[in-house]
Parts: sequence; structure tokens; C-alpha cells
Amino acid sequence: MMAATQAVQSDAALVSAMASGDESAMGHLYDRYSPIVYSVALRVLGDTGMAEDLLQEIFMQLWRNPAAFDSSRGTLAPWLVAITRNRAIDWLRKRRPETPVAEVPLSIEPDLASKTDFARSVGKIRSILDRMPTTQKDLLEMAYFEGLTHSEIAARTDQPLGTIKTRIRSGLLALRMALTQ
Amino acid sequence: MNEHEQFADELALYALGALVGPEKEALEQHLEVCSPCQSELRQLQSDATLLALSTSGPVPPPRSRKRLLQAVARERRAPVTVPKRFTWWLLVPYAVSVALIVTAAFLWNESRSLNRTLANLEQRHSEMEKQLRVAQDLVNTLTSPESKQITLAPVKTLPQPQGKAYYVSSSGHLIFLANNLAPLPPGKVYELWLIPPAGSPIPAGMFQPDSRGTATVVNPPLPIGVEAKAFAITVEPTGGSPAPTSQPIMLGAAG
Repeated sequence: MMAATQAVQSDAALVSAMASGDESAMGHLYDRYSPIVYSVALRVLGDTGMAEDLLQEIFMQLWRNPAAFDSSRGTLAPWLVAITRNRAIDWLRKRRPETPVAEVPLSIEPDLASKTDFARSVGKIRSILDRMPTTQKDLLEMAYFEGLTHSEIAARTDQPLGTIKTRIRSGLLALRMALTQ
Repeated sequence: MNEHEQFADELALYALGALVGPEKEALEQHLEVCSPCQSELRQLQSDATLLALSTSGPVPPPRSRKRLLQAVARERRAPVTVPKRFTWWLLVPYAVSVALIVTAAFLWNESRSLNRTLANLEQRHSEMEKQLRVAQDLVNTLTSPESKQITLAPVKTLPQPQGKAYYVSSSGHLIFLANNLAPLPPGKVYELWLIPPAGSPIPAGMFQPDSRGTATVVNPPLPIGVEAKAFAITVEPTGGSPAPTSQPIMLGAAG
């Protein structure tokens, strides 16, 4: 926990240095978080070129407007992941950005600044997803990575809306449990 | 099923951005007033982010880093450099800037002055309203058909001191006027009491007579709606007492 706290402070310090024009701080942040930002972009967009473009956009957005990230309300990694996923869905559906960056929810978990914690978290999440019934995993992925609405998911899977809602919620709760174990 | 359970499944869809239409609108209305659901939504949004971890593996090509840092260098946050050659027309933008700044300062000053005037007027208006309300209360207490007029006289036969109380029980307003009161020794004060039909006397204000022996009590803090069986005056230590500590020197039954 102490290590995580130190890592959070380090993120905040890097963002602060970057805000005052320190380009090397930007490089450090890129080295730390570009893999997860790129992975999410690639998973949603399914195209390496587009994923690279989105990676560039996300970090340039951070450079141009570092104040959009408020380190007192959460950690950097979940915020970057959330805006990457939202922008990727916008690109995928060829629509204008729906959620302003300032309104992207911030959270403390998962804290991805520590490589050890990160690897452990990834292992737990993959393990719980592997054990999850395929139909439930598909529902989560359709909503998160494809940006489908509940009625679109119902149409595609031919499942009742109530079942879809319940399975998605229990799937998210299972992920939450995985990290607390 | 309580309201939170009703919205529990919708919250998960909403956290993933998958809820649309009337169900989304109904949930957003509920979220505006439901703190537990707001908290659960934040947690579910964190949970959704965990899904992103499952994608971990691919890394961007090295050229992406170079491309980013080149773009960052192009948008470097650096001080503006001063031109080396001096020509008079280079001063034009500065002159325009100075003129704009002077104009802005003048307008700002005007705006502050107007704001101050407005604040003063608002304060005066508020004070006048307050004074009007007090005067209206006084008139109402004296003229209300509900107002009971009670004349207080000494318990014993020394007839000179006299007190009149005007009391409206429904508003708790009381005006008490007295004259011919004897001066008090140091450390003492007159205290007026409202005596209800049942229960203990209620303190209704303290007073000291002036050099002519007159005194007034206007709207002391009193509970609203208490009927008065009588009013009485006792002599109490300075600062008053929560209950009478001496025999009444004046007493008047409410009619």
C-alpha cells in the first residue's frame, strides 16, 4: 500500500512537472502508461495505425491540458484508460466525443503505477474472465469494447433485456471481487 | 424491491455507457438525488476499467514515442523571444495592448464603483425593510383585536407605580410600558413574568427604570401561542433569574 501511495505521488509529480513544460516528464509518463493506453485502443479499434493515432491524441491532450487530470480525485492510469476507451468508442462509431474529458470519472483503483501490482492485477482479471461463462464475458466485452447499447446487445444475442442487465452487473461485481481477494 | 435495487442493474449498464433511452433518463433523475447510487456508480465505473487490464500485452512501436515527443517539442511551453531589429511599427501591437489595458482598467474600475453603489443601496433597502417590519409589529400589537390590555398595580397600597402590558399570544408579541417605578439598589433589576394558566412563570424581559421612573419592554423572546393568565414584576439580581426569587411587586391579571 505504501508503494502504491508513493507511486501515486510520483504520477502527480510527473504531471506537475509536465504542466510546467518539462518534456522529459512527458517521456516518463509515456513510458509508464503507453502500453495500456495502446492496448485498449487496439482492442477497441482493431487497427494498429488507428491505435497509434489515438495513443498520440491521448498523450497530446494530457500535454495541452494537464489540468484536466485532478490528482486529488484519483490516479492517472484509470483516467487515461477511461478516456482512451471513450475516445476509441467515439472513433469506432464515427461520432463526436460524447463525454468531455473533465467529466470522465476518476478512481483510485486500479493503481497501475507499480509494475508488480499491475502484473498481479492483470493476472487476477484474466483469471476471473477465463472462469466466467462465455456468454457473460461476451456481454461485458460487447458493452465495454464495442460500445453497444443494451438494446443492441439484446438484438445481437437474442437474450432478454433483464438477463443482459443482471449478467453485466454480476460480471462487473466479479471483477471487483477478484481484486479484493 | 426498494428503489436502489430497482436501479442496480441499470447502474452497471450506465457505467459501461450502454444504457440509453427512457431508462437512462429515469436513472439520471434518480442519480441526482441518490447519494448511495452515485457512490455505487463510481465503483462500477472503476470495475469497468478493470476490463481494460485484460487487453494488456501489445506495446506501441518505438516510432510512436518519437512522434509524440516531436509533437510535444513543437508545442513547447517556452518564453516568447524578443525580436532583434527595432522598427517603430513593432510598437503598434504594444500600443494597442496598452490602450486595451487602460480601457479595461477604466471599465473594471467603473464596474467596481457601480457594484459598490448597488451593494450600498441593497443594504439600505434591507435595513429599511427591517425597520418597517418592527414598526408594523408594534402597531399590530397595539391595535390588534386579539391584543389584551393588562394594567398592573402594586400589590400593596402604594399606588404610584403602574405598568401596562399589550400581549398577542398567537404571535408571542409583547409590549410593556411602566411608569412611576422606584429606583433599584445596585445589583438589582426588575423582571417581568408571563404567568400561564398552568406551569411556571415565563421570563418576559428585564428592565431598569430611567430617572423619571419609566421603562419599556418590547417583544422579549417568548414562546408563541402561550396564553397569559397574568403578568407580574419581581425584583431580581442583575442578569435576571430563570424563576422568580422574590414576591411580585406588581401583578396584573389578563382579561
